[in-house]
Amino acid sequence: MGHHDVSDGKTCAGGRREKYLAQLGRFADYCFVPLTVLPTITLSVAILGFPLLLSLIMSFVAWSIDEPVWEAEFVGLRNYRDLLADPVFVASLFLTLGYTAATVCLEIVVGLAIALLLNLNLPYIRFFRVALIVPMMVTPIVAALCWKLLLDPTYGLVDYLMRSPIIWLGDPMLALITVGGVSVWQNAPFVALLVLAGLQSLPKDVMEAATIDGATRIAQFRHITLPFLSPYLLVALLLRTIFEFRAFDNVYVMTAGGPANATLVLSIYVYQTSFFSFDLTLASAASWVMLLVVLATCLFLIAAMRRREPD
Amino acid sequence: MRFSSRSYRTGFYYACVYGSLICLLAIFLLPLLWLLGLSLKTREQIFTTPPLFLWWPTLENYVAVLSEGNFLNSFWNSFLVTASTVLVSLFAGVPAAYTIARYRFAGRQLIFFSLLVMRMLPPIAVLLPLYVMFSLGGLINSRMSLILAYTTFSLPLVVWITRDFFKGVPRDLEEAAYVDGASRFGAFFKIALPLARPGITTAAILSMLLAWNDFIFAAILTNSATRTSPVLLSTYAGSETGTDWGAIAASGILVLVPVIVFSLGVQKHLVSGLSSGPVNDARVR
Repeated sequence: MGHHDVSDGKTCAGGRREKYLAQLGRFADYCFVPLTVLPTITLSVAILGFPLLLSLIMSFVAWSIDEPVWEAEFVGLRNYRDLLADPVFVASLFLTLGYTAATVCLEIVVGLAIALLLNLNLPYIRFFRVALIVPMMVTPIVAALCWKLLLDPTYGLVDYLMRSPIIWLGDPMLALITVGGVSVWQNAPFVALLVLAGLQSLPKDVMEAATIDGATRIAQFRHITLPFLSPYLLVALLLRTIFEFRAFDNVYVMTAGGPANATLVLSIYVYQTSFFSFDLTLASAASWVMLLVVLATCLFLIAAMRRREPD
Repeated sequence: MRFSSRSYRTGFYYACVYGSLICLLAIFLLPLLWLLGLSLKTREQIFTTPPLFLWWPTLENYVAVLSEGNFLNSFWNSFLVTASTVLVSLFAGVPAAYTIARYRFAGRQLIFFSLLVMRMLPPIAVLLPLYVMFSLGGLINSRMSLILAYTTFSLPLVVWITRDFFKGVPRDLEEAAYVDGASRFGAFFKIALPLARPGITTAAILSMLLAWNDFIFAAILTNSATRTSPVLLSTYAGSETGTDWGAIAASGILVLVPVIVFSLGVQKHLVSGLSSGPVNDARVR
């Protein structure tokens, strides 16, 4: 209230300033929606929208890095044709799709199994639930380095425990499996904890009724638990697909795309084309193919999710 | 009673369950504990052919890593970039989330859709044009370029998480404030914001994880003076000649400590936060 007295005692100029401030406040309130939304929109357009447009344009022109920008000429779909004629790119595209499908499936199966185990009502189970959060927060570069040291053929722990020197990252087939395995190790716990959240919201009375009706454990799982969990599993599927499709860190550290392009996923392909061969137009075309594939896959999955809702 | 077959069976059951739980823990935590172990060994202890399982721990790797300028410099860069990313993305994203939760306005659907696409966008797809853009704008090799990129990529997360929390704040409280003469900004700052604090904390931690753990942006947009810790660590992986495992392990552990400490604080909201967003929204609808 002391504050009020002071402001009353102010000069005429102070009163005008306050009126002005109040007006400004009213104006700010009037513009509340644009003022609050604008920073987000500006950043998104400047840092994502504009670069995307730039790369779309670059994917339709012929231009090399040592030419001035105005010498770029429109060539239609030629970059895309070149891209699809490049066996390395096509191989990389299928490799990425296979890698994504395999790692995501494995993450979901392993995650589901872990979630069922963690859902049991036992003493000290909370400790296990919390401990399992750790791998998913680990910096991917550190996880990859850690596994690289573990899998070292001479001094690594894994080969010592298996009593046979296996060159995990040198063999083309094994390298891809190893790199994917590290990702499963890091991300299966995330799926597990997401599914666990679903399991814990499972209505207890339904399960009790099923037990009284004499349903076996397996029947209960198939006809009650699994349908109930399906939205959670679909979210896990969607999120993991998005993130496995862009796999980069673990591959870059462990194999850098080798041996003999055996782990050359799309992110690494675009990275190499952009920053080693400096073929900017081809890299832009590859980025857009990548973008369209991931968008199509995700929109398909989201549509599948929505279709399930009514029943 | 004590030796009945039932009690034997439950005993066996508990042994199985705890056995598999402990196996699980071993698979998921032992690799990291082994890394911690390596960081506490001397060079000779690391390179012995049957690996050493018991030894007197030494801090010499940590001393070496911390006394050499490279690591501390990268750690400081990581810290600056992460802290700024968290602040800027909250500052930009939280008001937007509030407006999206409370008001209907033209373009709302477009923002929804754009956030969805932003979440799906592989970073590598914008990295090249972003590199060109930052080079032309003179921002390349600066921490600012990283802060801008991380902020934008964490906006979908921040907006969607906090939006969910704002939706949970009862509208009546704000209505009452309006009756008392509060402005829209007043209602937002004094009423909605404090009530959505758990959501804002979660959003902060997630954008922190994004900025701290990222490698791909930092690998392209920084140089040796402005690089973050993951980039410095990745240079260790490439050099086959001077592989100093002790230094790799010690700096890896130092990078992990802050994220693990912070994230365990919000572990309850972590998973729901990570899976929230356009995706969850599709499920709920």
